[in-house]
Amino acid sequence: MFREEYRKMNERIFPDQEIVNKVIESINKPHREANKSIALLRKSVAIAAVIAIITLTVTPALAANVPIVYQLMYAVSPSVAQFFMPVRKSCVDNGIKMEVVSAYIHDNTAEIYITMQDITGDRIDNTIDLYDSYSINRPFDSSATCELVGFDEASKTATFLISITEWGNKKIEGDKITFSVREFISHKRMYKDIPVEVDMGSIESNPPTMEVNPGGGGGRKYREFIPDYRRTANVLVPSDSMGFQIEDFKLTGIGYIDGFLHVQASIKRNMVGDNFGYFILKDKNGKEINCVCNFDFSVKEDDDIKYTEYIFEVPPSEIEQYSLYGYYVATGLYTKGYWQVTFPLEKQDLEDDEKNTISATIN
Amino acid sequence: MEQESFCANDSLESVINAYSNMVYRLAFSHTRDRCSADDIYQEVFLRYIRKRPQFETEKHRKAWLIRVTVNCCRKMWTSSWKKKIVPLDESIIFETKEETNLHYELQKLPVKYRTVIHLFYYEDLKVEEIGEILHKKPSTVRAQLTRARSKLKEILKEGYDV
Repeated sequence: MFREEYRKMNERIFPDQEIVNKVIESINKPHREANKSIALLRKSVAIAAVIAIITLTVTPALAANVPIVYQLMYAVSPSVAQFFMPVRKSCVDNGIKMEVVSAYIHDNTAEIYITMQDITGDRIDNTIDLYDSYSINRPFDSSATCELVGFDEASKTATFLISITEWGNKKIEGDKITFSVREFISHKRMYKDIPVEVDMGSIESNPPTMEVNPGGGGGRKYREFIPDYRRTANVLVPSDSMGFQIEDFKLTGIGYIDGFLHVQASIKRNMVGDNFGYFILKDKNGKEINCVCNFDFSVKEDDDIKYTEYIFEVPPSEIEQYSLYGYYVATGLYTKGYWQVTFPLEKQDLEDDEKNTISATIN
Repeated sequence: MEQESFCANDSLESVINAYSNMVYRLAFSHTRDRCSADDIYQEVFLRYIRKRPQFETEKHRKAWLIRVTVNCCRKMWTSSWKKKIVPLDESIIFETKEETNLHYELQKLPVKYRTVIHLFYYEDLKVEEIGEILHKKPSTVRAQLTRARSKLKEILKEGYDV
């Protein structure tokens, strides 16, 4: 099992006592001296490698989608929108243009609007997901997030807001930021609140079960069901057809095991591996009940299928008051490329005519 | 892994001793080479010594050290120094062939997934806790774990149920 092997492997990894001692010795040294003594312990022996990164970065005279972003900014916060500095740097790869439109620095935070537009096709839509492929490189300690904040149907332009918060007291103004994206998925198909036609009054209380090796999972009571070092978990024996299916997401079992409601589903693995689904229970007032534990497992005969067991904490005596609903998200398009823009973080008040220009674009 | 509980006002030395392995293993899980882990380990505790932050609970202290370690790891990948060096292949002596193989296989896992895998599988943090420490939504952490597991299944040979 991965968890156990990973744990065992890590137990062999620890710092040299020499380094630990040096760090402890540096406690009472002045900062500069402490830095020096630690730097001497750097053991890296390097071989210079030639790295050439060629990025086509252009600054268009006036980006066509700038007004869209400003409309969005003004809609969200009119008083703040005017403080955003135009950046207008873009990069094109694989027919997709990424543009840094504007940035705003206040206190120790930088907010940056970025757009992505498909200039040759229709690969970008309002379900775009950067698929954890983006990176924000900055020369200071900080935390950063990137979220989709808008999509313009007419120009097929998605707008993202990057927020970077510096951790110390260093001025971030004047520093350069590099934002890059390597891939994204889009055209996801989302199914929400799909009723599962199951007679909740006749759920089996003694269904056939089997032992499996659970894979990854989560939930409030995950540790209670899958304690450390436990290799197996009790699950429902998968059934071929339970009458509920959304694309590749199938209900394969429902029943009570040890007083907990188990609902089981299968998903066919895909290339991207990002399809996912889940179930929830709703009472008659629409109040939602989430599972307290869920985990994946496979059966040897069919490695293309991933099973997930969802465990709910609703006693059999109350289950008739609930209905079961399915949710499913299927990946549509997967697009690769390399988009990278480097730009400075500049903070300054807008000139009056610049403010007027921005205002004019949204009127 | 569980950390022993000790007084919040304990000395810097006891904090370093208590969290040495945690910081080093997290750094190693990210870099998968000893030289870089050494550098990050020293940088993290140097910051700790410099700032001498105060925490209400050990949980907060642990979260701070994890965040700073992750941040130092990210900084290392973006530094021009790291981009231009090829580290020496310092072999680590593992007890079994399986552990050695797993170490080398994990080098193939994209860097962006290594931290969540380590925090989830080794530090036993819940998705919500990982999200809180890394400033990510739980749904983002969940998606990253799903994607990381999917990659691991591609990378690891038979015998591992991720």
